[in-house]
Amino acid sequence: MSILSLKNVWKKFGETEIIRGVSLDVERGEKHAIIGPNGAGKSTLFHLISGKHTVSSGEITFNNQAIHNLPPYEINRLGLARSFQVTNIFPRLNVFENVRCALLWSNNYRYSFWHLLGRQHKLNEEAMHVLEQIGLHDKAKFPAAELAYAQQRALELGIAIASGAEVIMLDEPVAGMSHSEAENAVSLIRKITEGKTLIMVEHDMNIVFDVADRISVLVYGEIIATDIPKQIRGNARVQEAYLGEVPADA
Amino acid sequence: MLEVFIFATLNGLVTGLLLFMLASGLTLIFSMMGVLNFAHASFYMLGAYFAYSISLQFGFWTGLVFAPLIVGLLGAIVERYALRRVHQSGHVAELVFTFGLAFLIEEAVQFFWGPDTKNYQTPEILDFALFTLFGQEFSAYRGFMIFISVAIFLGLFYVLTRSRIGIIIQAAITHPNTVANLGHNVPLVFMGVFGVGTALAGLAGVIAGPVLTTFPGMAVVLGSIVFVIVVIGGLGSLAGAFIASLLIGLLQSYAIASDVGMPDLLALLGVEFERNHPLNDLWTLTLSQVAPILPFLLLVLVLIFRPTGLMGKRES
Amino acid sequence: MAVAKKFSVWICYLLVLLLLPQFFDTVLAISIFNQMAIAIVFALSYNMLLGQGGMLSFGHAVYYGLGGFLAVHALLLIEDEIVHFSIIWIPLVGGVFGLLAGIFIGSFSTRKAGTVFAMISLGIGELIAASSLIFVGFFGGEAGVSGDRTFGPPLFGVEFFQDIEIYYVAAAWVFIATVFMYLFTQTPAGRMANAVRDNPERAEFIGYSARYVRFISFCAAGFFAGIAGGLFALNYEFITEENLNAITSGRVLLMAYIGGLGYFIGPIIGAVVLTLMNSLLSNYTELWMLYLGIMFVLTVMFLPRGFAGFIMMHQVAWIQGKLKNLLVPYLKTGVPGLLFSAAAVAMIEMSHHEGEAFEYLGFTLNSHSPVAWIITAGIAGVSVYLIRRSIPQLQEAWEEANTINDADGDQP
Repeated sequence: MSILSLKNVWKKFGETEIIRGVSLDVERGEKHAIIGPNGAGKSTLFHLISGKHTVSSGEITFNNQAIHNLPPYEINRLGLARSFQVTNIFPRLNVFENVRCALLWSNNYRYSFWHLLGRQHKLNEEAMHVLEQIGLHDKAKFPAAELAYAQQRALELGIAIASGAEVIMLDEPVAGMSHSEAENAVSLIRKITEGKTLIMVEHDMNIVFDVADRISVLVYGEIIATDIPKQIRGNARVQEAYLGEVPADA
Repeated sequence: MLEVFIFATLNGLVTGLLLFMLASGLTLIFSMMGVLNFAHASFYMLGAYFAYSISLQFGFWTGLVFAPLIVGLLGAIVERYALRRVHQSGHVAELVFTFGLAFLIEEAVQFFWGPDTKNYQTPEILDFALFTLFGQEFSAYRGFMIFISVAIFLGLFYVLTRSRIGIIIQAAITHPNTVANLGHNVPLVFMGVFGVGTALAGLAGVIAGPVLTTFPGMAVVLGSIVFVIVVIGGLGSLAGAFIASLLIGLLQSYAIASDVGMPDLLALLGVEFERNHPLNDLWTLTLSQVAPILPFLLLVLVLIFRPTGLMGKRES
Repeated sequence: MAVAKKFSVWICYLLVLLLLPQFFDTVLAISIFNQMAIAIVFALSYNMLLGQGGMLSFGHAVYYGLGGFLAVHALLLIEDEIVHFSIIWIPLVGGVFGLLAGIFIGSFSTRKAGTVFAMISLGIGELIAASSLIFVGFFGGEAGVSGDRTFGPPLFGVEFFQDIEIYYVAAAWVFIATVFMYLFTQTPAGRMANAVRDNPERAEFIGYSARYVRFISFCAAGFFAGIAGGLFALNYEFITEENLNAITSGRVLLMAYIGGLGYFIGPIIGAVVLTLMNSLLSNYTELWMLYLGIMFVLTVMFLPRGFAGFIMMHQVAWIQGKLKNLLVPYLKTGVPGLLFSAAAVAMIEMSHHEGEAFEYLGFTLNSHSPVAWIITAGIAGVSVYLIRRSIPQLQEAWEEANTINDADGDQP
């Protein structure tokens, strides 16, 4: 049973068509990668799913519930979290607070102005646990803006997974990282998305083939193929679209 | 009735064009730099005061030429040495800075010229009636105001759309980095635009001073209205600012001139209230009483229902 | 122990509030303290919007003024014996009205932050201020509304004829308000307000409606501003349109900004400094508003994080124990700086006192005296020279004091 389903989704900005009739079914627990040349519309697709943009036409359902017209916060509350390609954290809060904020809604605090956060032991422990998972527990009191780039990306990840969402969407999680940093990030991603559904936009083919159960290829707003990695490697259309970016030894 | 309408329209036109002179500079500055210059009306005030002082020695026409230049120069200096610095601290800091600048200029004006109203006279050769309609005169000076305003706009329009510097400015408004990469000195352009914008405000002060009275509170009176216009017209749209300026100018003029009010509306509905009814103030409200707050009412309504304004492209 | 340390700050605060009149007991001093109390609550409430929530408002005086108006009307109702409660609850009356106004206005103005919000706040502020002159019944027109606080039931025998008695009521309210506004920042609503300020988009992606978060801050800010308005009513026993208008809104913006937006204590500092300038400085010179304007512009330009920010900038140096290294460079730049300011002010005052002699820091100055001009201009010039010479040393010392040394004293 697919947990996330896109049916014939179109998105136009003015006259420009960015997403053209995309249909996609992501299975529960699947690790699904979305690849494609620059400008294919991968980030826009993410924005459509996560509620930042509304669809021009088509449907997006999550757990059989239509989400394509919901605001981002309602989609998130249903169990879908995302990270961003350009680091999108809360710069003036410290690292611990960044993560703790991400835990508030799922812990039912809502808009409370009567709970003192210092006294919420369970919440604080949970936040520290997340920090340990992403390896930032010794930087807990640092202002987020002062972290190094790779650490900010790790924090970005932490904020996305903190709430325990079922579906995690990661937009180019290792962009701009060195090889070793990326390796660490990937094993972190593997660890924290165990048992969850992962949808990932990524350019690095090695990572993609390593992590993904299935891959969808997005070109000029259309999905030209969705299949297991081995089949995608051998797919002529994909090779044509990418020309040289797919490893020759299929 | 007709005479009231005609004169209200003419006066509304004069006010509207004057407001546009202020709003156009503000819009240019906002489009270019993303800064809503709270002190814009203060430069208007400086224009009036400088022209007044110059006119005491050298006559109105010398003031007309030199006062805007001095104001523009001051504006450029403010941009270069102060605003640019504050820009690094973010949009809020910029707004707060221009707000502080407005405050400072008002105090400085009182320091240099004193708190009293200045006797800034219209030039003698324009001291006649342009025409008389239904027994009421329309002064040549007001006609002059319309003439100058229109001339400036045509000039502005021509420069922005036909000249090379105009094209550069239009490009720098939306793509400052690209323009810089093309070799143009974008900071210089910014400084120039700010200078020209403030000079326009100064010019408005020069011609409005004799008519709208020259006193330290003159910036406050017009300042908020100009913001309302720029926001209603759509932040960043000159055409929108033009329409909104005329709209507000005419609206206020008609509101002040009419004696329509709540009593008329109530009479229409056949309702009457006692004199000592707690909401008596509301039932006796006339349109001319409400006139000063109409622009703000319009502002709030527009911001709620159409935050990008009438023709806005950019929301800040 | 961090807990004891935190409590000690609050205890100090309470002690200062309680003991201040013991040290300064003149009528003028008490009056200034009362003004400070009102300003502190007002400025802190403003910071809930701007510093904590990132919402720049040009119309915050609306909630302050409306709170004040209802408070005065409550005093009148007490006087007419229509209602019967102690006047110590008057600020709460103001707070409630501020809250109601906040709920109503916040319902449509918190959709966006940024320039749109600022403009709506400006528009609403002007609308309400202008309306207050039209609706004379409630607002009393240009003369405003006045009441009498001595008609309320006595509290432990106190009938509140004296300002000092009001001071303790005000001090109690200041303390309570400060505590609650501080606690708000430690709640989910308060923290999310910070998050929404920093990154509204991201806040939505962790499950929060940015608009609703802003709305809550807005209502809370309205409530506390209303309390400040109530304190004003209690202290002065009258209220006018001026308390609602853009000038008052501007003044609270000034206070919060100069004090420092990013720190909870900032607006308190700003409120104290501005109240002092307002009451003391105005006795010495007519030009105090001009100086205030200059100070404000300079602060925005050079100390964008306000006085509190300036103090906190020294945190790193203090932790490292290198603060004393800055003492000499500060003196070398600071003393000429003070001299320059003194000379500049002298020159400004001389121009203002055209031809007449006046007292200035123990000297008699007269704009007609060329000696006075030569001396002041000379001091100004020499000071500028000294400042320019000493700035590089100050910069060096500053950088040195801020470099983090590891255990061996070496730099990383």
